[in-house]
Amino acid sequence: MPSIFYYAYMQRALLVGFLLALLVACLGTVMVHKRLSLIGDALSHSSLAGVALGLLGGFNPVIGAMAACVVAAFAIEGIRKKLGNHSELAVAIVLSTGIGLAGVMSGFVKSSADFNSFLFGSIVAISKFETRLVIVLAVVVLFSFFLLYKELFYISFDEQAAAISGVPVGLVNAIFTILTAVTVSIAARTVGALIVSSLMVVPVAGAMSVARSYKSTIVWSAVISVSSTIGGLVLSFYCGLKPGGTIVLISVLWFLLLHIWKWAAGTKTIGKGA
Amino acid sequence: MEKVIEVKDLSFGYTKDMILEHVNFSVQKGDFALIIGDNGVGKSTMVKLLLGVNSPTSGEILISGKKVRSLKDSRIGYLPQNGGSRAAAFPATCEEIVMSSLYKEIGFGRFAGKKQKEKVQKALALVDMEEKRKALIGELSGGQQQRVMLARVLAGDPEVLILDEPTVGVDAESVDRLLHILHHINIEKKVTILMVTHDIDKVGPFANRVLCLSEGACNEEALPQAEIIHAHAHSHPKGEGAHIHCANCEIDHVHDREHCPECRHCEAYHDHGHTHEVIREHVHPHHHDRGEVRKEEK
Repeated sequence: MPSIFYYAYMQRALLVGFLLALLVACLGTVMVHKRLSLIGDALSHSSLAGVALGLLGGFNPVIGAMAACVVAAFAIEGIRKKLGNHSELAVAIVLSTGIGLAGVMSGFVKSSADFNSFLFGSIVAISKFETRLVIVLAVVVLFSFFLLYKELFYISFDEQAAAISGVPVGLVNAIFTILTAVTVSIAARTVGALIVSSLMVVPVAGAMSVARSYKSTIVWSAVISVSSTIGGLVLSFYCGLKPGGTIVLISVLWFLLLHIWKWAAGTKTIGKGA
Repeated sequence: MEKVIEVKDLSFGYTKDMILEHVNFSVQKGDFALIIGDNGVGKSTMVKLLLGVNSPTSGEILISGKKVRSLKDSRIGYLPQNGGSRAAAFPATCEEIVMSSLYKEIGFGRFAGKKQKEKVQKALALVDMEEKRKALIGELSGGQQQRVMLARVLAGDPEVLILDEPTVGVDAESVDRLLHILHHINIEKKVTILMVTHDIDKVGPFANRVLCLSEGACNEEALPQAEIIHAHAHSHPKGEGAHIHCANCEIDHVHDREHCPECRHCEAYHDHGHTHEVIREHVHPHHHDRGEVRKEEK
Protein backbone atom coordinates (compact mmCIF):
# COMPACT_ATOMS: atom_id res chain seq x y z
CA MET A 1 0.00 0.00 0.00
CA PRO A 2 1.42 3.44 -0.91
CA SER A 3 2.31 5.97 1.79
CA ILE A 4 -0.46 8.17 3.20
CA PHE A 5 1.47 11.22 1.94
CA TYR A 6 1.37 9.95 -1.64
CA TYR A 7 -2.19 11.15 -2.15
CA ALA A 8 -2.93 14.89 -2.45
CA TYR A 9 -6.36 14.48 -0.81
CA MET A 10 -4.74 12.85 2.23
CA GLN A 11 -2.15 15.64 2.48
CA ARG A 12 -5.03 18.14 2.53
CA ALA A 13 -6.94 16.01 5.05
CA LEU A 14 -3.92 15.88 7.39
CA LEU A 15 -3.32 19.64 7.14
CA VAL A 16 -6.98 20.55 7.64
CA GLY A 17 -7.37 17.98 10.42
CA PHE A 18 -4.29 19.35 12.23
CA LEU A 19 -5.50 22.97 12.04
CA LEU A 20 -9.10 22.24 13.01
CA ALA A 21 -8.01 20.02 15.91
CA LEU A 22 -5.88 22.90 17.20
CA LEU A 23 -8.74 25.42 16.91
CA VAL A 24 -11.37 23.17 18.40
CA ALA A 25 -9.12 22.39 21.39
CA CYS A 26 -8.53 26.10 22.13
CA LEU A 27 -12.20 27.04 21.82
CA GLY A 28 -13.32 23.88 23.63
CA THR A 29 -11.20 24.74 26.68
CA VAL A 30 -13.02 28.04 27.09
CA MET A 31 -16.44 26.45 26.48
CA VAL A 32 -15.96 23.67 29.01
CA HIS A 33 -14.87 26.15 31.67
CA LYS A 34 -17.77 28.45 30.88
CA ARG A 35 -19.92 25.40 31.73
CA LEU A 36 -21.16 25.28 28.13
CA SER A 37 -19.81 21.86 27.17
CA LEU A 38 -22.83 21.05 25.04
CA ILE A 39 -22.70 24.26 23.02
CA GLY A 40 -20.78 22.38 20.33
CA ASP A 41 -23.71 19.97 20.02
CA ALA A 42 -26.22 22.82 19.73
CA LEU A 43 -24.16 24.66 17.11
CA SER A 44 -23.31 21.61 15.03
CA HIS A 45 -26.97 20.55 14.94
CA SER A 46 -28.00 24.07 14.06
CA SER A 47 -25.41 24.05 11.28
CA LEU A 48 -27.35 21.16 9.73
CA ALA A 49 -30.37 23.43 9.44
CA GLY A 50 -28.15 25.90 7.58
CA VAL A 51 -26.82 23.13 5.34
CA ALA A 52 -30.37 22.09 4.45
CA LEU A 53 -31.24 25.73 3.77
CA GLY A 54 -28.20 26.07 1.50
CA LEU A 55 -29.03 22.91 -0.41
CA LEU A 56 -32.67 24.01 -0.80
CA GLY A 57 -31.79 27.62 -1.67
CA GLY A 58 -29.11 26.65 -4.16
CA PHE A 59 -26.19 28.39 -2.39
CA ASN A 60 -23.04 26.98 -0.77
CA PRO A 61 -24.18 24.83 2.20
CA VAL A 62 -21.04 25.86 4.17
CA ILE A 63 -22.20 29.49 4.02
CA GLY A 64 -25.65 28.36 5.18
CA ALA A 65 -24.07 26.39 8.02
CA MET A 66 -21.97 29.41 9.07
CA ALA A 67 -25.00 31.72 9.11
CA ALA A 68 -27.08 29.20 11.09
CA CYS A 69 -24.25 28.70 13.59
CA VAL A 70 -23.79 32.44 14.17
CA VAL A 71 -27.57 32.91 14.71
CA ALA A 72 -27.68 29.88 17.02
CA ALA A 73 -24.65 31.03 19.01
CA PHE A 74 -26.09 34.49 19.61
CA ALA A 75 -29.47 32.93 20.46
CA ILE A 76 -27.72 30.83 23.15
CA GLU A 77 -26.02 33.92 24.60
CA GLY A 78 -29.31 35.86 24.55
CA ILE A 79 -31.40 33.09 26.11
CA ARG A 80 -28.64 32.32 28.65
CA LYS A 81 -28.83 35.87 30.01
CA LYS A 82 -32.64 35.75 30.24
CA LEU A 83 -32.77 32.40 32.06
CA GLY A 84 -30.50 33.39 34.96
CA ASN A 85 -29.97 30.36 37.22
CA HIS A 86 -31.21 27.97 34.51
CA SER A 87 -28.92 29.36 31.84
CA GLU A 88 -27.75 25.88 30.80
CA LEU A 89 -31.24 25.33 29.31
CA ALA A 90 -30.37 27.80 26.56
CA VAL A 91 -28.13 25.20 24.91
CA ALA A 92 -30.88 22.55 25.04
CA ILE A 93 -33.47 24.95 23.58
CA VAL A 94 -31.25 25.96 20.65
CA LEU A 95 -30.13 22.36 20.09
CA SER A 96 -33.76 21.21 19.89
CA THR A 97 -34.65 24.05 17.53
CA GLY A 98 -31.67 23.17 15.32
CA ILE A 99 -32.58 19.48 15.18
CA GLY A 100 -36.23 20.33 14.48
CA LEU A 101 -35.43 22.71 11.64
CA ALA A 102 -32.79 20.39 10.14
CA GLY A 103 -35.18 17.43 10.34
CA VAL A 104 -38.03 19.25 8.62
CA MET A 105 -35.91 20.93 5.93
CA SER A 106 -33.88 17.80 5.13
CA GLY A 107 -37.14 16.22 4.01
CA PHE A 108 -37.20 18.65 1.08
CA VAL A 109 -33.54 18.11 0.07
CA LYS A 110 -33.40 16.00 -3.11
CA SER A 111 -29.87 14.62 -2.68
CA SER A 112 -29.65 13.03 0.76
CA ALA A 113 -25.98 12.13 0.10
CA ASP A 114 -25.03 15.83 0.22
CA PHE A 115 -26.84 16.28 3.52
CA ASN A 116 -25.33 13.11 5.03
CA SER A 117 -21.82 14.27 4.15
CA PHE A 118 -22.34 17.09 6.69
CA LEU A 119 -23.64 14.70 9.31
CA PHE A 120 -20.55 12.51 9.36
CA GLY A 121 -18.10 14.76 7.51
CA SER A 122 -15.91 14.08 4.53
CA ILE A 123 -12.42 15.07 5.55
CA VAL A 124 -10.84 13.05 2.75
CA ALA A 125 -12.94 14.87 0.14
CA ILE A 126 -11.89 18.42 0.97
CA SER A 127 -11.45 20.78 -1.96
CA LYS A 128 -8.53 23.19 -2.40
CA PHE A 129 -10.94 26.08 -1.71
CA GLU A 130 -12.00 24.54 1.60
CA THR A 131 -8.33 23.95 2.52
CA ARG A 132 -7.56 27.64 1.98
CA LEU A 133 -10.67 28.59 3.95
CA VAL A 134 -9.51 26.49 6.93
CA ILE A 135 -5.99 28.02 6.78
CA VAL A 136 -7.41 31.56 6.87
CA LEU A 137 -9.81 30.58 9.64
CA ALA A 138 -6.97 29.03 11.66
CA VAL A 139 -4.86 32.18 11.44
CA VAL A 140 -7.78 34.43 12.47
CA VAL A 141 -8.99 32.20 15.33
CA LEU A 142 -5.55 31.46 16.77
CA PHE A 143 -4.52 35.13 16.61
CA SER A 144 -7.78 36.23 18.28
CA PHE A 145 -7.50 33.50 20.90
CA PHE A 146 -3.92 34.53 21.72
CA LEU A 147 -4.91 38.21 21.86
CA LEU A 148 -7.97 37.57 24.06
CA TYR A 149 -6.37 34.84 26.19
CA LYS A 150 -6.43 36.93 29.38
CA GLU A 151 -9.99 38.17 28.81
CA LEU A 152 -11.32 34.69 28.00
CA PHE A 153 -9.60 33.26 31.09
CA TYR A 154 -11.16 35.90 33.31
CA ILE A 155 -14.66 35.55 31.80
CA SER A 156 -14.52 31.75 32.06
CA PHE A 157 -13.39 31.98 35.66
CA ASP A 158 -15.89 34.59 36.88
CA GLU A 159 -17.94 36.54 34.36
CA GLN A 160 -19.43 38.91 36.93
CA ALA A 161 -16.07 39.78 38.48
CA ALA A 162 -14.64 40.21 34.99
CA ALA A 163 -17.35 42.74 34.14
CA ILE A 164 -16.74 44.62 37.40
CA SER A 165 -13.01 44.72 36.62
CA GLY A 166 -13.69 46.42 33.31
CA VAL A 167 -13.35 43.48 30.91
CA PRO A 168 -15.58 44.24 27.90
CA VAL A 169 -17.51 41.01 28.54
CA GLY A 170 -20.15 41.64 25.87
CA LEU A 171 -17.58 42.36 23.16
CA VAL A 172 -15.30 39.44 24.08
CA ASN A 173 -18.26 37.04 24.28
CA ALA A 174 -19.52 38.25 20.90
CA ILE A 175 -16.09 37.74 19.26
CA PHE A 176 -15.77 34.31 20.87
CA THR A 177 -19.30 33.38 19.77
CA ILE A 178 -18.58 34.29 16.14
CA LEU A 179 -15.23 32.45 16.14
CA THR A 180 -16.88 29.36 17.61
CA ALA A 181 -19.79 29.45 15.20
CA VAL A 182 -17.55 29.78 12.14
CA THR A 183 -15.17 27.06 13.38
CA VAL A 184 -18.00 24.64 14.12
CA SER A 185 -19.65 25.18 10.74
CA ILE A 186 -16.41 24.54 8.85
CA ALA A 187 -15.41 21.64 11.10
CA ALA A 188 -18.85 20.12 10.51
CA ARG A 189 -18.08 20.00 6.78
CA THR A 190 -14.81 18.18 7.39
CA VAL A 191 -15.12 15.92 10.45
CA GLY A 192 -18.94 15.99 10.59
CA ALA A 193 -21.53 17.80 12.68
CA LEU A 194 -22.00 14.87 15.01
CA ILE A 195 -18.28 14.58 15.74
CA VAL A 196 -17.14 18.19 16.11
CA SER A 197 -18.92 18.59 19.42
CA SER A 198 -17.15 15.52 20.83
CA LEU A 199 -13.79 16.92 19.76
CA MET A 200 -14.59 20.14 21.63
CA VAL A 201 -15.15 18.40 24.94
CA VAL A 202 -13.33 15.04 25.18
CA PRO A 203 -9.73 16.34 24.75
CA VAL A 204 -10.40 19.05 27.36
CA ALA A 205 -11.79 16.45 29.78
CA GLY A 206 -8.65 14.37 29.27
CA ALA A 207 -6.39 17.40 29.67
CA MET A 208 -8.00 18.40 32.97
CA SER A 209 -6.88 15.16 34.56
CA VAL A 210 -3.18 15.88 34.02
CA ALA A 211 -2.78 19.63 33.52
CA ARG A 212 -1.14 21.69 36.28
CA SER A 213 -2.41 25.11 35.16
CA TYR A 214 -4.95 26.75 32.82
CA LYS A 215 -2.22 27.26 30.22
CA SER A 216 -1.17 23.62 30.38
CA THR A 217 -4.85 22.57 30.09
CA ILE A 218 -4.94 24.30 26.71
CA VAL A 219 -1.63 22.73 25.65
CA TRP A 220 -2.72 19.23 26.74
CA SER A 221 -6.12 19.67 25.01
CA ALA A 222 -4.33 20.65 21.81
CA VAL A 223 -1.93 17.68 22.07
CA ILE A 224 -4.79 15.20 22.63
CA SER A 225 -6.96 16.75 19.93
CA VAL A 226 -4.21 16.93 17.28
CA SER A 227 -2.83 13.46 18.01
CA SER A 228 -6.35 11.98 17.93
CA THR A 229 -7.10 13.63 14.60
CA ILE A 230 -3.83 12.70 12.92
CA GLY A 231 -3.91 9.22 14.49
CA GLY A 232 -7.53 8.76 13.40
CA LEU A 233 -6.77 9.77 9.81
CA VAL A 234 -3.75 7.48 9.58
CA LEU A 235 -5.61 4.55 11.14
CA SER A 236 -8.67 5.05 8.96
CA PHE A 237 -6.45 5.21 5.84
CA TYR A 238 -4.62 1.95 6.55
CA CYS A 239 -7.48 0.04 8.20
CA GLY A 240 -10.35 1.24 6.00
CA LEU A 241 -12.26 2.84 8.92
CA LYS A 242 -14.53 5.92 8.93
CA PRO A 243 -12.20 8.83 9.81
CA GLY A 244 -14.64 10.93 11.92
CA GLY A 245 -15.60 8.11 14.26
CA THR A 246 -12.00 6.86 14.52
CA ILE A 247 -10.80 10.36 15.54
CA VAL A 248 -13.37 10.62 18.33
CA LEU A 249 -12.71 7.10 19.61
CA ILE A 250 -8.97 7.80 19.84
CA SER A 251 -9.69 10.97 21.88
CA VAL A 252 -11.92 8.90 24.20
CA LEU A 253 -9.07 6.38 24.54
CA TRP A 254 -6.74 9.26 25.49
CA PHE A 255 -9.27 10.33 28.14
CA LEU A 256 -9.47 6.82 29.61
CA LEU A 257 -5.71 6.25 29.61
CA LEU A 258 -5.00 9.60 31.27
CA HIS A 259 -7.58 8.93 33.98
CA ILE A 260 -6.19 5.45 34.61
CA TRP A 261 -2.67 6.92 34.78
CA LYS A 262 -3.85 9.62 37.18
CA TRP A 263 -5.65 7.06 39.33
CA ALA A 264 -2.53 4.87 39.40
CA ALA A 265 -0.35 7.85 40.28
CA GLY A 266 -2.80 8.95 42.97
CA THR A 267 -3.12 12.50 41.68
CA LYS A 268 -5.96 14.57 43.10
CA THR A 269 -8.88 15.53 40.91
CA ILE A 270 -9.46 19.23 40.23
CA GLY A 271 -12.38 20.49 42.28
CA LYS A 272 -12.20 17.93 45.06
CA GLY A 273 -10.22 20.21 47.36
CA ALA A 274 -7.64 19.15 49.91
CA MET B 1 -14.25 61.50 57.98
CA GLU B 2 -14.36 60.87 54.27
CA LYS B 3 -17.41 58.90 53.13
CA VAL B 4 -16.38 56.02 50.87
CA ILE B 5 -19.83 54.51 50.35
CA GLU B 6 -23.03 56.55 50.48
CA VAL B 7 -26.44 54.97 49.99
CA LYS B 8 -29.13 57.62 49.67
CA ASP B 9 -32.85 56.82 49.85
CA LEU B 10 -32.31 53.60 47.92
CA SER B 11 -35.22 51.38 46.87
CA PHE B 12 -34.98 48.24 44.77
CA GLY B 13 -37.11 45.30 43.71
CA TYR B 14 -36.75 42.66 41.02
CA THR B 15 -40.53 42.93 40.53
CA LYS B 16 -43.04 45.53 41.75
CA ASP B 17 -42.49 44.24 45.29
CA MET B 18 -39.62 46.15 46.81
CA ILE B 19 -36.85 44.19 48.54
CA LEU B 20 -35.17 47.34 49.81
CA GLU B 21 -37.07 50.55 50.61
CA HIS B 22 -35.67 53.99 51.37
CA VAL B 23 -32.38 52.65 52.61
CA ASN B 24 -29.82 55.17 53.84
CA PHE B 25 -26.36 54.50 55.19
CA SER B 26 -22.79 55.46 54.67
CA VAL B 27 -19.43 53.80 55.23
CA GLN B 28 -16.46 55.96 56.08
CA LYS B 29 -12.83 55.56 55.16
CA GLY B 30 -11.15 53.00 57.41
CA ASP B 31 -14.42 51.44 58.60
CA PHE B 32 -14.78 47.70 59.07
CA ALA B 33 -18.56 47.61 58.58
CA LEU B 34 -20.84 44.60 58.65
CA ILE B 35 -24.20 44.10 56.95
CA ILE B 36 -26.28 41.60 58.88
CA GLY B 37 -29.85 40.36 58.58
CA ASP B 38 -31.99 37.27 58.13
CA ASN B 39 -31.96 35.19 54.97
CA GLY B 40 -33.79 36.86 52.08
CA VAL B 41 -33.79 40.39 53.47
CA GLY B 42 -31.68 41.62 50.57
CA LYS B 43 -28.09 41.51 51.81
CA SER B 44 -26.68 40.03 48.62
CA THR B 45 -29.00 42.27 46.60
CA MET B 46 -27.47 45.24 48.38
CA VAL B 47 -24.01 43.99 47.40
CA LYS B 48 -25.09 43.65 43.77
CA LEU B 49 -26.39 47.22 43.88
CA LEU B 50 -23.14 48.44 45.39
CA LEU B 51 -21.20 46.66 42.66
CA GLY B 52 -23.41 48.09 39.93
CA VAL B 53 -24.63 44.65 38.84
CA ASN B 54 -28.22 45.83 39.45
CA SER B 55 -29.47 49.41 39.22
CA PRO B 56 -31.58 50.98 41.98
CA THR B 57 -35.29 51.46 41.30
CA SER B 58 -34.92 54.83 43.01
CA GLY B 59 -32.29 56.61 45.05
CA GLU B 60 -28.57 56.51 44.45
CA ILE B 61 -25.31 54.95 45.55
CA LEU B 62 -22.07 56.88 45.60
CA ILE B 63 -18.73 55.10 45.77
CA SER B 64 -15.90 57.52 46.56
CA GLY B 65 -18.21 60.31 45.45
CA LYS B 66 -19.00 58.76 42.07
CA LYS B 67 -22.34 57.27 41.09
CA VAL B 68 -22.24 53.51 41.15
CA ARG B 69 -22.66 53.47 37.37
CA SER B 70 -19.02 54.46 37.09
CA LEU B 71 -17.88 51.66 39.37
CA LYS B 72 -15.44 50.32 36.79
CA ASP B 73 -13.33 53.42 37.45
CA SER B 74 -13.36 53.11 41.23
CA ARG B 75 -11.06 51.11 43.42
CA ILE B 76 -13.33 48.40 44.78
CA GLY B 77 -12.42 44.81 45.51
CA TYR B 78 -15.17 42.17 45.73
CA LEU B 79 -14.98 38.74 47.31
CA PRO B 80 -18.15 36.76 46.48
CA GLN B 81 -19.88 34.16 48.62
CA ASN B 82 -18.23 30.74 48.26
CA GLY B 83 -15.74 32.34 45.90
CA GLY B 84 -13.13 29.76 46.76
CA SER B 85 -15.28 26.69 46.28
CA ARG B 86 -16.67 28.02 43.00
CA ALA B 87 -13.12 28.42 41.79
CA ALA B 88 -12.23 24.89 42.87
CA ALA B 89 -13.43 23.28 39.65
CA PHE B 90 -11.32 25.63 37.55
CA PRO B 91 -7.96 24.20 36.45
CA ALA B 92 -5.85 27.23 37.25
CA THR B 93 -2.92 27.90 39.57
CA CYS B 94 -3.18 30.38 42.45
CA GLU B 95 -0.84 32.68 40.51
CA GLU B 96 -3.03 32.62 37.39
CA ILE B 97 -6.14 33.38 39.44
CA VAL B 98 -4.60 36.30 41.33
CA MET B 99 -3.19 37.71 38.09
CA SER B 100 -6.71 37.90 36.64
CA SER B 101 -7.55 40.77 39.00
CA LEU B 102 -4.91 43.00 37.40
CA TYR B 103 -6.86 43.23 34.17
CA LYS B 104 -7.29 47.00 34.21
CA GLU B 105 -3.60 47.54 34.86
CA ILE B 106 -2.50 45.18 32.08
CA GLY B 107 -5.05 46.38 29.53
CA PHE B 108 -7.09 44.86 26.73
CA GLY B 109 -5.19 42.45 24.50
CA ARG B 110 -1.89 42.88 26.41
CA PHE B 111 0.15 40.56 28.63
CA ALA B 112 1.33 40.77 32.22
CA GLY B 113 4.82 42.17 32.88
CA LYS B 114 7.34 41.96 35.71
CA LYS B 115 5.50 44.62 37.76
CA GLN B 116 2.24 42.66 37.71
CA LYS B 117 4.02 39.41 38.56
CA GLU B 118 5.58 41.10 41.61
CA LYS B 119 2.16 42.38 42.68
CA VAL B 120 0.78 38.85 42.51
CA GLN B 121 3.62 37.55 44.72
CA LYS B 122 3.01 40.32 47.25
CA ALA B 123 -0.74 39.66 47.37
CA LEU B 124 -0.17 35.94 47.91
CA ALA B 125 2.38 36.72 50.63
CA LEU B 126 -0.15 38.99 52.34
CA VAL B 127 -2.53 36.05 52.79
CA ASP B 128 0.32 33.64 53.58
CA MET B 129 -0.15 31.63 50.40
CA GLU B 130 3.12 32.43 48.61
CA GLU B 131 4.36 28.85 48.84
CA LYS B 132 1.22 27.58 47.09
CA ARG B 133 1.49 29.92 44.12
CA LYS B 134 2.03 27.10 41.61
CA ALA B 135 -0.63 24.83 43.15
CA LEU B 136 -3.96 24.24 41.45
CA ILE B 137 -6.71 25.99 43.38
CA GLY B 138 -8.81 22.82 43.29
CA GLU B 139 -6.16 21.02 45.34
CA LEU B 140 -6.35 23.47 48.26
CA SER B 141 -8.58 23.36 51.34
CA GLY B 142 -11.67 25.60 51.52
CA GLY B 143 -9.90 28.09 53.78
CA GLN B 144 -6.84 28.24 51.54
CA GLN B 145 -9.03 28.73 48.47
CA GLN B 146 -10.78 31.62 50.19
CA ARG B 147 -7.40 33.20 51.02
CA VAL B 148 -6.30 32.91 47.40
CA MET B 149 -9.54 34.60 46.35
CA LEU B 150 -8.79 37.34 48.87
CA ALA B 151 -5.29 37.72 47.43
CA ARG B 152 -6.88 38.07 44.01
CA VAL B 153 -8.93 40.98 45.28
CA LEU B 154 -6.02 42.54 47.18
CA ALA B 155 -3.65 42.42 44.20
CA GLY B 156 -5.64 45.26 42.66
CA ASP B 157 -4.85 47.54 45.68
CA PRO B 158 -8.52 48.24 46.46
CA GLU B 159 -9.51 51.15 48.69
CA VAL B 160 -12.76 49.42 49.56
CA LEU B 161 -13.25 45.70 50.02
CA ILE B 162 -16.77 44.25 49.76
CA LEU B 163 -17.13 40.68 50.99
CA ASP B 164 -20.29 38.59 50.70
CA GLU B 165 -20.34 36.00 53.51
CA PRO B 166 -16.67 35.02 53.20
CA THR B 167 -16.83 32.71 56.23
CA VAL B 168 -19.53 30.40 54.83
CA GLY B 169 -18.30 26.83 54.30
CA VAL B 170 -14.91 27.53 55.88
CA ASP B 171 -13.68 25.71 59.02
CA ALA B 172 -13.30 27.62 62.31
CA GLU B 173 -9.51 27.82 62.21
CA SER B 174 -9.52 29.15 58.64
CA VAL B 175 -12.23 31.68 59.52
CA ASP B 176 -10.07 32.93 62.38
CA ARG B 177 -7.06 33.24 60.08
CA LEU B 178 -9.08 34.99 57.38
CA LEU B 179 -10.49 37.50 59.87
CA HIS B 180 -7.04 38.31 61.23
CA ILE B 181 -5.79 38.90 57.70
CA LEU B 182 -8.76 41.20 57.05
CA HIS B 183 -8.12 42.99 60.34
CA HIS B 184 -4.48 43.51 59.35
CA ILE B 185 -5.49 44.85 55.94
CA ASN B 186 -8.05 47.17 57.53
CA ILE B 187 -5.62 48.55 60.11
CA GLU B 188 -2.25 48.46 58.36
CA LYS B 189 -3.26 48.98 54.74
CA LYS B 190 -6.15 51.33 55.60
CA VAL B 191 -8.55 49.38 53.40
CA THR B 192 -12.22 50.09 54.14
CA ILE B 193 -14.14 46.83 54.56
CA LEU B 194 -17.86 46.17 54.10
CA MET B 195 -18.80 42.59 54.85
CA VAL B 196 -22.14 40.79 54.55
CA THR B 197 -22.22 38.11 57.23
CA HIS B 198 -24.33 35.85 59.39
CA ASP B 199 -21.33 35.08 61.56
CA ILE B 200 -21.71 38.08 63.88
CA ASP B 201 -20.15 36.29 66.86
CA LYS B 202 -16.88 35.69 65.06
CA VAL B 203 -16.73 38.77 62.87
CA GLY B 204 -18.27 41.27 65.28
CA PRO B 205 -15.12 41.81 67.38
CA PHE B 206 -13.20 42.93 64.29
CA ALA B 207 -15.79 45.45 63.10
CA ASN B 208 -16.55 48.99 64.18
CA ARG B 209 -19.95 49.35 62.56
CA VAL B 210 -22.95 47.10 62.02
CA LEU B 211 -25.79 47.71 59.58
CA CYS B 212 -28.84 45.50 59.96
CA LEU B 213 -31.12 44.89 56.99
CA SER B 214 -34.64 44.11 58.10
CA GLU B 215 -38.02 44.30 56.38
CA GLY B 216 -36.56 46.16 53.43
CA ALA B 217 -34.82 48.79 55.49
CA CYS B 218 -31.34 49.31 56.85
CA ASN B 219 -30.88 49.93 60.57
CA GLU B 220 -27.68 51.30 61.97
CA GLU B 221 -26.56 49.22 64.93
CA ALA B 222 -23.88 49.50 67.54
CA LEU B 223 -21.65 46.70 68.69
CA PRO B 224 -19.92 48.20 71.72
CA GLN B 225 -17.25 45.56 72.11
CA ALA B 226 -16.42 45.69 68.44
CA GLU B 227 -15.93 49.43 68.50
CA ILE B 228 -13.61 49.09 71.48
CA ILE B 229 -11.44 46.56 69.71
CA HIS B 230 -11.35 48.52 66.51
CA ALA B 231 -10.43 51.66 68.39
CA HIS B 232 -7.95 49.67 70.48
CA ALA B 233 -6.18 48.42 67.42
CA HIS B 234 -5.86 51.97 66.14
CA SER B 235 -4.69 53.49 69.39
CA HIS B 236 -2.25 50.82 70.65
CA PRO B 237 0.50 50.29 68.15
CA LYS B 238 2.57 47.14 68.52
CA GLY B 239 5.37 47.32 71.08
CA GLU B 240 3.78 49.86 73.36
CA GLY B 241 4.58 47.65 76.33
CA ALA B 242 1.35 47.75 78.39
CA HIS B 243 0.48 44.58 80.33
CA ILE B 244 -2.80 42.97 79.40
CA HIS B 245 -4.58 40.19 81.19
CA CYS B 246 -6.12 37.63 78.84
CA ALA B 247 -9.42 36.55 80.34
CA ASN B 248 -9.47 33.46 78.18
CA CYS B 249 -6.24 31.76 79.27
CA GLU B 250 -5.65 33.75 82.49
CA ILE B 251 -2.16 34.93 81.51
CA ASP B 252 -0.68 38.41 81.79
CA HIS B 253 1.44 39.38 78.80
CA VAL B 254 3.09 42.44 77.37
CA HIS B 255 0.86 44.16 74.88
CA ASP B 256 3.21 43.84 71.94
CA ARG B 257 0.79 42.10 69.61
CA GLU B 258 -2.85 42.27 68.75
CA HIS B 259 -3.76 38.87 70.16
CA CYS B 260 -2.94 36.79 73.19
CA PRO B 261 0.18 34.74 72.29
CA GLU B 262 -1.14 31.74 74.24
CA CYS B 263 -4.67 31.31 73.00
CA ARG B 264 -4.73 33.81 70.09
CA HIS B 265 -7.90 35.38 71.44
CA CYS B 266 -8.05 39.11 71.14
CA GLU B 267 -6.98 40.31 74.58
CA ALA B 268 -8.84 43.58 74.32
CA TYR B 269 -12.07 41.75 73.81
CA HIS B 270 -11.61 39.71 76.96
CA ASP B 271 -9.87 42.48 78.85
CA HIS B 272 -12.98 44.58 78.59
CA GLY B 273 -15.02 41.64 79.74
CA HIS B 274 -17.64 41.80 77.01
CA THR B 275 -19.72 38.82 76.05
CA HIS B 276 -21.23 38.21 72.62
CA GLU B 277 -24.40 39.92 73.77
CA VAL B 278 -25.34 42.54 71.25
CA ILE B 279 -27.02 45.80 72.07
CA ARG B 280 -29.02 46.79 69.05
CA GLU B 281 -29.78 50.39 68.29
CA HIS B 282 -32.45 50.56 65.64
CA VAL B 283 -32.76 53.70 63.63
CA HIS B 284 -36.04 54.36 61.92
CA PRO B 285 -35.30 53.56 58.26
CA HIS B 286 -37.26 56.41 56.81
CA HIS B 287 -35.88 59.02 59.17
CA HIS B 288 -32.21 58.40 59.44
CA ASP B 289 -31.95 60.50 62.52
CA ARG B 290 -29.93 59.53 65.55
CA GLY B 291 -32.61 61.22 67.66
CA GLU B 292 -35.04 58.45 66.85
CA VAL B 293 -32.89 55.63 68.12
CA ARG B 294 -34.59 52.94 70.16
CA LYS B 295 -32.66 50.29 72.01
CA GLU B 296 -33.35 46.66 72.63
CA GLU B 297 -31.31 43.91 74.19
CA LYS B 298 -30.76 40.72 72.29
